[in-house]
Amino acid sequence: SGFKQVREDEKSKLVGNVFSSVASSYDVMNDLMSAGLHRLWKDRLVSGAQSITPYGDSLFLPDSSDFFSRLISKLNPFPGMKHLDVAGGTGDVAFRVVERIKSVSHRATQGTLTDMEEDTHIYVCDINPNMLEVGKKRAAEKGYNEEQCLSWVQGDAEALSFEDGSMDGYTIAFGIRNVTHIEKALSEAYRVLKKGGRFLCLELSHVDVPVFKDIYDIYSFSVIPAVGELVAGDRQSYQYLVESIRRFPKQEKFAQMIQEAGFEAVEYENLVGGVVAIHSGVKL
Amino acid sequence: SLTAPIGWANSVSTQPRHFVEHVVVRRTGPSAMASFLVARRLLCPASARRLLPCTSPPPSAPAALCWLSTDASPSPPLPVPPLEPTVDPPKKDGASFSAGSGAGGAYRTGQGAASGGRRSGGAGYEEEQQKVLRASLLHVPRMGWSESAMIAGARDVAMSPAIVGAFPRKEAALVEFFMDDCLQQLMDRIDAGEGELLKNLMLTERLSRLVRMRLEMQTPYISKWPQALSIQSQPANVSTSLKQRAVLVDEIWHAAGDAGSDIDWYVKRTVLGGIYSASEVYMLTDNSPEFHDTWTFVNRRIKDALDLQKSYKEV
Repeated sequence: SGFKQVREDEKSKLVGNVFSSVASSYDVMNDLMSAGLHRLWKDRLVSGAQSITPYGDSLFLPDSSDFFSRLISKLNPFPGMKHLDVAGGTGDVAFRVVERIKSVSHRATQGTLTDMEEDTHIYVCDINPNMLEVGKKRAAEKGYNEEQCLSWVQGDAEALSFEDGSMDGYTIAFGIRNVTHIEKALSEAYRVLKKGGRFLCLELSHVDVPVFKDIYDIYSFSVIPAVGELVAGDRQSYQYLVESIRRFPKQEKFAQMIQEAGFEAVEYENLVGGVVAIHSGVKL
Repeated sequence: SLTAPIGWANSVSTQPRHFVEHVVVRRTGPSAMASFLVARRLLCPASARRLLPCTSPPPSAPAALCWLSTDASPSPPLPVPPLEPTVDPPKKDGASFSAGSGAGGAYRTGQGAASGGRRSGGAGYEEEQQKVLRASLLHVPRMGWSESAMIAGARDVAMSPAIVGAFPRKEAALVEFFMDDCLQQLMDRIDAGEGELLKNLMLTERLSRLVRMRLEMQTPYISKWPQALSIQSQPANVSTSLKQRAVLVDEIWHAAGDAGSDIDWYVKRTVLGGIYSASEVYMLTDNSPEFHDTWTFVNRRIKDALDLQKSYKEV
């Protein structure tokens, strides 16, 4: 399949257009690309294994029902945390962080942690105001308008408006493949994190498992654009998105890029054989 | 148009483990410290004759009795020497630490193509982890062996508590650090001169003294020790805790001087391991002043065990 060669300035415009046009059906699109695949069999596989592995990282299956939950459990939010979620305009990550912190605080704690809850703040940064609007609307639906701890900020991952060393956590979910200069986004992430802060990236990645890889390719290049035509009336944007996934660096290469940005203890975890990967690193 | 993927999903789901997830394989970290400590020991001339206990049981040993030779999670016995950086990491804003090199920076891929190894988890990161864990210990008597203690510890050393999320098994990492730290303290005290004092005592007294030295280190945490034991016995953690205990028991036997003994290597370790665990549990409900009853318990058990051996030999 021929990949379209796209110039840098055109890329950001194209990405902008893609997201504006699909902002409202973003959830559907994401489901199609990844979470939908996963949901086809996740319930049967995950629910059985959950009882075996009640604690932390497991050798079997995640203690979560989808990729976002896995990302949040790796992030391990705590009360008083300052967290930045980039390219997450629709709030998928942010809402889960809020939920998690609220549930941690309400568990019987051994003392001083609940005092910190007021300091918790989650910043959602997105370059696209339409996505932020969708997020704010969803926040209203969930009753988060009372929340003092959520902020919606328009901004560019390559040039963040936040101060150095101001964030405990930084997440970017299904967003970094659309950034024109990935190294810039990574170094910005490094800059805004505090010492000990963590970087986590959830992204569609590369499948190397032999037979599965071919099936995945067929699905991506034939089925997804066709469905995109039906659902959003826009085959071209979906074609572009599928190609952008293939162009994104492989797991190892991306891990190396994260390390080059200065992060320590860089590692990645493949989900669904590599369809999705979570990369993480620590700033020291 | 979605029937194709559904059909395929059904056939794939018969092999869930292969397709759904592979967790990162962790190679270094606080729980591997026990192996590092043993390696350190080899540098002392007095113990130059010893081999690594984890790798040199007598060949005739039955596998079932050997805690040490099987490794549930393979870990390197010695730290990887620092690698020469082959790629110069671009200097950004005067970053003062190297991103690509350092001890333990060997990048490993796990089974198949599907899991990612830890890279550049080098000396810097290990040190920071240990600083956080050490600071967290101060909060354990109040908060227990928990994430809260680790979060407080991270704050104490001016690190974001977010780093706690990067510890593989959180509370278990704290407990394992404590076990390694106690072992290190024990070895240091023996090397520093207390080992000489032991020479004048009988074997049973030497063993008692050493077990007591080690158990006394737990007294500040005794109110929360049941929690530590329960953490150690969880399936994900039990192999590491068994390994740590095996190294501890081996160290005690070595310090007590096991030369010329006629008792089988495995029996010695099994017996002492059992006595140590029983004493540890006994201590949890001991309210006597300065745990006097526990030390009596330890003395009796050790004497009984060694006397039994002697009478068995006689028969």
